[in-house]
Amino acid sequence: MSFDVVVNWEREGFCLEVSEAFPSVGVTALYGPSGCGKTSLLRIVAGLEPAVSAQVRFKNQIWQTTGGFVPIEKRRIGLVFQEASLLPHLSVESNLEYGWRRTPVSQRRLVPADIYQMLALAPLLTKRTGQLSGGQRQRVALGRALMTSPDLLLLDEPMAALDAEAKRQILPYLARVVRETDTPTLLVTHSASEVLRLADNICFMESGKVAGPVTLSDALKDPGSPLFSDSGALSVLHGTFAREDASGWGAFSTSSYSLHVRNLADYASSAPGLSGGQADRLQIQARDVSIALTDPAQISIQNHLSAKVTSLTEKDDGMTLVQLTLADGQSLIAELTSASVSRLGLSPGLSVWALIKSAALLQ
Amino acid sequence: MAEFFTFTPADWQAIWLTLKLCFITTVLLMILATPLAWWLARGGSWFHTVVQSLVALPLVLPPTVLGFYLLILLGPQGWIGRGLESMGLNHLAFSFNGIVLASLIYSLPFAVQPLQDAFSRLGHRSLEVAASLGASPLDRLLTVVFPLCRGGLVTAATLSFAHTMGEFGVILMLGGSIPGETRVLSVMIYDYAEALNFENAHRLSLLMLVFSFTVLVAVYGKQRRLSFFAQRDTES
Amino acid sequence: MKLFTATRACCLLVLLILAPGLQAEQATVAAASSLRPTLDQMVEAFEEQHPEDSVVLIYGASGRLTTQILNGAPFDLFLSANTEFPEQIAAAQAEASLPQLYAGGQLALWSAKQDAREIGWEGLLSPDVRRIAIAQPDIAPYGQRAKEALIHYGVWDQVQGKLVYGESVSQTARMALSGAADVAVIAASLVQQDIMKQQPYMPVDVSSHLPLSQSMVVTAKGSANPVAVAFSRFVMSEQGQSILAAAGFLPVAQIRSAE
Repeated sequence: MSFDVVVNWEREGFCLEVSEAFPSVGVTALYGPSGCGKTSLLRIVAGLEPAVSAQVRFKNQIWQTTGGFVPIEKRRIGLVFQEASLLPHLSVESNLEYGWRRTPVSQRRLVPADIYQMLALAPLLTKRTGQLSGGQRQRVALGRALMTSPDLLLLDEPMAALDAEAKRQILPYLARVVRETDTPTLLVTHSASEVLRLADNICFMESGKVAGPVTLSDALKDPGSPLFSDSGALSVLHGTFAREDASGWGAFSTSSYSLHVRNLADYASSAPGLSGGQADRLQIQARDVSIALTDPAQISIQNHLSAKVTSLTEKDDGMTLVQLTLADGQSLIAELTSASVSRLGLSPGLSVWALIKSAALLQ
Repeated sequence: MAEFFTFTPADWQAIWLTLKLCFITTVLLMILATPLAWWLARGGSWFHTVVQSLVALPLVLPPTVLGFYLLILLGPQGWIGRGLESMGLNHLAFSFNGIVLASLIYSLPFAVQPLQDAFSRLGHRSLEVAASLGASPLDRLLTVVFPLCRGGLVTAATLSFAHTMGEFGVILMLGGSIPGETRVLSVMIYDYAEALNFENAHRLSLLMLVFSFTVLVAVYGKQRRLSFFAQRDTES
Repeated sequence: MKLFTATRACCLLVLLILAPGLQAEQATVAAASSLRPTLDQMVEAFEEQHPEDSVVLIYGASGRLTTQILNGAPFDLFLSANTEFPEQIAAAQAEASLPQLYAGGQLALWSAKQDAREIGWEGLLSPDVRRIAIAQPDIAPYGQRAKEALIHYGVWDQVQGKLVYGESVSQTARMALSGAADVAVIAASLVQQDIMKQQPYMPVDVSSHLPLSQSMVVTAKGSANPVAVAFSRFVMSEQGQSILAAAGFLPVAQIRSAE
C-alpha cells in the first residue's frame, strides 16, 4: 500500500506538478533546495491547503479529491514544523497532552510513558514553553505529534531552525522515534546529513517537480548524486553497533564483516537509553577509503574489507570514483586519483581490499 | 457632606437603566463582533475592506446625525419601524430596545477593532498545530483562539462598556429622555445642567467618573499583570 | 474560569429585562426648556388638585422635540416656545388637537458680571463685551426673537462676530451663568430662577420683536389620554395662567391683542 498525490498548483516562481506514489512505510525524504516546493507538497498532504485542487490518497482513505476534502483534524497525522510552535498559553505537559486527549481511546497505539522515555521528556514536563531551548522545544513538538499515534508523521525541516549543537543532540531522538514507533514518515529537508541519517527512501525535488522515490542505497550509487554536493562522495552502511568500552570504541557489524569504529563521546552521552542492538548507520567518506590489491598486514589502518569493483567514474579534477560491492551486498565508494586507478589496473569485476581510515557512526 | 451623596429615586432609576444598557450592549456586542472580527482578520478581498469601513463609520459620524437617522429609520415612519409595526411589534424609537440597537451600532467599532487586531496577530500556525492534533474548529476557537486572544477580548468588552456608558447624542435623539426607559445617566446629567441644578449634575458626574475609572484601572491592571508574568516566563 | 463566571453573570443580567413599567393614570408632557422651572410648579399644583393623576415632564429644545414627536415619540402633550412647531404637528397628525395659545414669552438681557440694565443694547457694542449668547434662531423660537430684537435695536450687524449660539435657551442661560458669554439674550422666565438672581436683568420691550406666541398641542397619542387633556385645561385655567404670569410670561389675552 502506498499513498498517492496528484497536484498541479501554480505558485510564485514555480509550478508544483506532482503525480507520484510515495512509500507508506519507513522514512521518505523530500529532498531539494529551498523554494523547490517541498513544503507546499507537505502542506497539501497534511490537509492545510483545501483551496488547491489536488488528489491525495493515503492507504485506503481518500483525503482530498475534486469533490471532497477531509479536514486536517480528521486525518491521523502528526505534524512538526520548523519552529516548534508550541502553544504558548499551555505548559509543556499540557502541550503534550493536547493531542493525546483528542485521540479516541481505541486509536491510542503509542502511550505517553513510552514517548516521554523515548524523547527524554520527563525533566521538561514541569517547565513553561518559554523556558526551553530550541532543541528541547523540537523534542516536545515531536513528542506532541506522536501522542496522537499518527498514521503518518510529517516533518517540515524540523531541524532547520536549530544551531549545530542542538541539531546534533536531537538527531538521535528523531532516529529513535522513527525506528521504534514504526510510523511512516515524510521528511522535508534540504540537509544531506539528515537524509543520510534518517531516510530509507528519497524523492529528489526541484522547481516543483518530484522524481520518484529511490532507496538510499540506490541514491548513493549515483556518482553525481546531489547528496554528495556538501562534503563529497560518501557511502552509508547499515549494520549494528555494539559499544566495547567507555571511550566509545565499538564494533560495527553486518552479516559479513565488522568494523572497529568509535562512537563520538557526545553522541554517547546525549542519547541516554540508546544502546546497541538496533539498526545503525555508518557513514564513510569516499576519500577516507583506500584500495589495495592484496590484504596488507602491517598497516595502521584497522578496517580492511574485501570488495569487488563494480564501476569506475572519472571526474574532472583528476580523481576517480570507484564503486565497490561488499561481501553483504552493500555499496562502498572510494575516491582515488585517476593515476592510482590506472597504476593498480582497477577494472569492474576485480576483487580488491577496501581500507577504511575513519568512519563516522551516524545516529 | 453626606447629603452630597444621596441620590434621588430618579437618579437610581437612571443608574440602573444605564447599567442595564451597558451590560446588555456589551454582551450582545461580543457575540456579534467576535465572528465579524474573525472574518475581517482572515480575509483580504475588496469586500472585506468595504465591511471594515462600514464598521468604522460610527467613529466618524457625529452622534446626533447618527441618532437622527436612526430615529427616522426606526420610528413609525421609517422603513424598519413600519416593518416592525406591520408584524405587530412596536417600532424601536423611544424605547429601551431602540437605544440598545443604537448602542450596538455606535459601539461596534470599539468591539471589532481590538478583536480584529488580536485575531490577526494570532497568525495561522497555532491553529494549524491544534488542528493537526485533532481539534475541531469549535475546539480550536475555545482552547486556542480565546486564551491567546484574551487581551483583545477583554479590551473589546471594556471599551464597549465604557463607550456605551458615555453615549449621549444618539441616545437623546433616538431615546427621547423617557424616565425609566431611555433616560440614562448621561442624559440625566445633561438635564440637571439644563435646569441649572448643578449640585445634582456634579453628584452624578462624579459617580460616573469614579465608577468608570475604577473599572478601567481594574481591567488594565489585570491585563498588565498577566502580560508581565507571561513576559517574565518567556525571558527566563 | 473567571471569564466563564463573568459571562454567566452577564447573561443573567441580560435576562433581567424589566417588564414594561406599570402605566398608571399618567401623561407624558414635552416642554420647551424655557418653561423650566415654571412647568415644574404647574405640575405640582396640578397633581395636588388631581391626586390620582401624574405628569412626567420632559424638557428639550422645541425643534428636537417636534422632530421626535413627528417620528413617534410617546409624548401626550407638547408645550412649545412658539406656534409654528405645534402647527406642524397638528398638520401631520390627524388626531392631534389644534394648537392652543397658552402664554406669551418675553425676552431678557442678562449678565453674570454686572447689572444688565447698565449694559443695555448700546453696551453690546463695547469691546468689554466679547461674547453675546443667544439661542440658535433656527431651532429655538427665543433665539429667533432675540435676533429680531438685535436687528430692531440696530446692533445685529456689528455684533455678528461676537455671537455664540446655544442649542436651547437654557443652554444659552448656562453660557452666561458660567461667564463663557459676557451677556445673553434669554427667556425672561429663566431669569426668575434663584441662581440667576445674583444680577438684575433687563426686560426687553415686546414691541422690538414678533410676539413669542407659545402654543401647545395635544398629540395624536395624547388625544386618548384624559390626564393629558386635563392638564392642558389646567394650563389654561386661572390658576395655571397665574403661575405663568408670576414666572414672567405674558397672559394669553395680551398676546392675542398683539397678534
